[in-house]
Amino acid sequence: MKNGLMWKLLRKHISKSQLVGFSLANLIGLTIVILAVQFYQDVLPVFNDQESFIRKDYLIITRNITSAGAMLGNKSEFSDADIHDLESQPWCRKVGRFSSSNFGIMATIGSGGAGTMHTQFFFESIPTEFIDVDPTWTFDPKHPEVPVIMSRDYLSLYNFGFASTQGLPKISEGNASSVPMTFTFNGNGRSETMHGHIVGFSSRLNTIIVPESFMKWASSRYGDGTVQHPQRLIVEVNRPGDPQIQDYMDAHHYEIAGDKMSSGKAYYFLTLIISIVIVVGIIISLLSFFVLMLSIYLLLQKNTKKLQDLLMLGYSPTQVSRPYVKMVVYINCGVLVLSVILMLLARMYYMETLRDFGTNGGTIVAAIVVAVVIMGCITMGNVLAIKRKVRSLWIQD
Amino acid sequence: MEKIELYNTLPAVFAGREDDNSEVWLRDISFEKGKRYLISAESGTGKSSLCAYIYGYRVDYSGKIAFDGRDIHELTVPEWCQVRQSSIAYLPQELRLFPELTAMENIQLKNRLTHHKTEKEIVAYFEQLGIPEKVDSPLGKLSIGQQQRVAIIRTLCQPADFILLDEPVSHLDEANNAIVARIVSDEASRQGAGIISTSVGNNVKIQVDKEFKL
Repeated sequence: MKNGLMWKLLRKHISKSQLVGFSLANLIGLTIVILAVQFYQDVLPVFNDQESFIRKDYLIITRNITSAGAMLGNKSEFSDADIHDLESQPWCRKVGRFSSSNFGIMATIGSGGAGTMHTQFFFESIPTEFIDVDPTWTFDPKHPEVPVIMSRDYLSLYNFGFASTQGLPKISEGNASSVPMTFTFNGNGRSETMHGHIVGFSSRLNTIIVPESFMKWASSRYGDGTVQHPQRLIVEVNRPGDPQIQDYMDAHHYEIAGDKMSSGKAYYFLTLIISIVIVVGIIISLLSFFVLMLSIYLLLQKNTKKLQDLLMLGYSPTQVSRPYVKMVVYINCGVLVLSVILMLLARMYYMETLRDFGTNGGTIVAAIVVAVVIMGCITMGNVLAIKRKVRSLWIQD
Repeated sequence: MEKIELYNTLPAVFAGREDDNSEVWLRDISFEKGKRYLISAESGTGKSSLCAYIYGYRVDYSGKIAFDGRDIHELTVPEWCQVRQSSIAYLPQELRLFPELTAMENIQLKNRLTHHKTEKEIVAYFEQLGIPEKVDSPLGKLSIGQQQRVAIIRTLCQPADFILLDEPVSHLDEANNAIVARIVSDEASRQGAGIISTSVGNNVKIQVDKEFKL
C-alpha cells in the first residue's frame, strides 16, 4: 500500500503523450540500429564463405610491366624493402611470397597413348596458410612424388577449350587425382623424372602450386643456387574494397590480379552504407533519450513540492525516486522487446530474398547484444538523471 | 538523541542585525530530551526558519546547530532520514499534507514508514480530535482546522526524542487546543520525548519547562 500511495501521488503530471513519443522514437531508432547490425550479419556469408565478422580476403599483386619498361629491363621483382613497406600498411594483415622454379621442368600428362601431352612446365610455391585447398600435403624426398594444386581456371581451359575440340576425355575435379603425370627436372647437370598427381584446384591462386618443402629441395638439387626475389605476392587484407589499397597500388605501379577489387568495392560500400544507417539509428535513439530526459525533468519539476514533502516525512531520495525509476525501466524494457520483435519480423521478410543467394543468414546474437547494450546505456542515463534531480530537492532554501 | 544545541545561530537574512532582544538568535542555548519548551515569537522573527534548520531542510544560517554535540552539517542523507523517522517528529506550520489522498492515507504514508501506530490507535486519535467521520474523506475537502488535526495525528505516528511543533493550534479553538495539548503531552511522556513548540500568540496548552522569546 505504501508504494501504491506513492504512485498515487507521483503519477500526477505524467504526460502520456510525451512517454508515447519517446517510446516510438526510441523504438524506431533502436530497431534501425539492430536491423542494420542483423542485416550485416545475414549478408556477410553472401560475400564471404567464412562467417566471420571480420572478413578475410586475398589479393595477388605483381609489378606493372609496360612494354617500354620490359625493354629497358626494369625490375619486376619485389625487394625486401617493398614487402616490408606493404606489411606496414593498415589494411594489410599478411604478405606471402611466390617462389618460382629456377630449373627446367617438362611435364608428361597422360598414360603414354594418343592424347598424351608433353609440355614445358613451371611451378610456384607459397606458404601453406595462403592456400584455399587441403593444406596438409607434404613432400618426402625418400619417396619422391610431387603433389600439385592447379588453378581451377586451367581445368576449365582444358575441359572446354582443349578437350572438347580435340576429342579428348573431360576431367572432373573428382577424378583429376587419377590423371597420370610425370615430371622431368633438368638442371645442375641432373635430369630426373618423378611421378606427380593433382591434389586439388584453387580458385584463389592462378598458377601451379607445389609444397614449399618440395620447392626448397628441388631448387637446391636442380637450381643454380642464386637467390630469387619474388615476382608475385599474395596479400591478406582486412578491407578488400578500401580505396586506400587501390591508391597504394597505383602509387607503386603494382597490379592486382583479377577483379578482386570490384567485388571488394561492393562489400566496401555495403559496409559504408550499413555504418551510415547505424549512425542514423543511434542519432534517433539519442534524440529520443533526450526527449525522455526532458519529459522526466518536467515531471519532476511539476511534482517538486510533493517530492519534497515525501522527503520531509523521512523517505529517502532512493525511495522517492523508485516509482519513476520503475516507470523508465518498464518502458525501456518494453521498447527493447518490441524492437527485437520488429527486427525479427523485418528479417523474415528480407531473408526470403537472401535465401536465393544461398545463405541462411548469420546469428542474431550480435544484434540482441547491441540492443541490450544501447538500451542499458539509455536506461542508466535516465535513472542517474532521476536520482540526481531528486537528490537536488533535499535542501529547500 | 538527548540534546539539541544552538551556538550563535542566526538566519542568513538577519545577517548584520544586532538584535539583543532575541533569546535564541546569536545565543548558545540547548533543548534537552524529556523537557518542554515554548518559543514565542512575533511574526517574521524566523520561527519557521528555526524549525527548518533543526529539521535539516534549510541551511541558510550562520553559527552552529548540533545533535548531541555533532554539527548537523556533518549528517549524511541516510542519517537525516533516520532522524526524521525516529528522532524528531515535526509538524510544519504549512502542514504539508497531500490533498489528493484521504486523511487516513496521508497518515498511513508516514506510519507505513515507521510502523509506530496501529490503524485502531489512529482511528482513536480521529475520535478524540472530533473528526471520526473524516477518516476516509479526501483531505482537500477538509477545513483548515480539520487538516491541522490530521497533520498532528501524522506527527505522532513515529518514535521520537523531540516533538517539534510549528504553531500547532493556530487554526484550532480552545477545546481542540486542550485535546491536542493532552494527546501530545501523553505521547511525549510515553516516549520520554521533549517538546519544542512555537507560537505567535495562540499557545498550545502544555505546561512548559522553559520559554524562549525569539
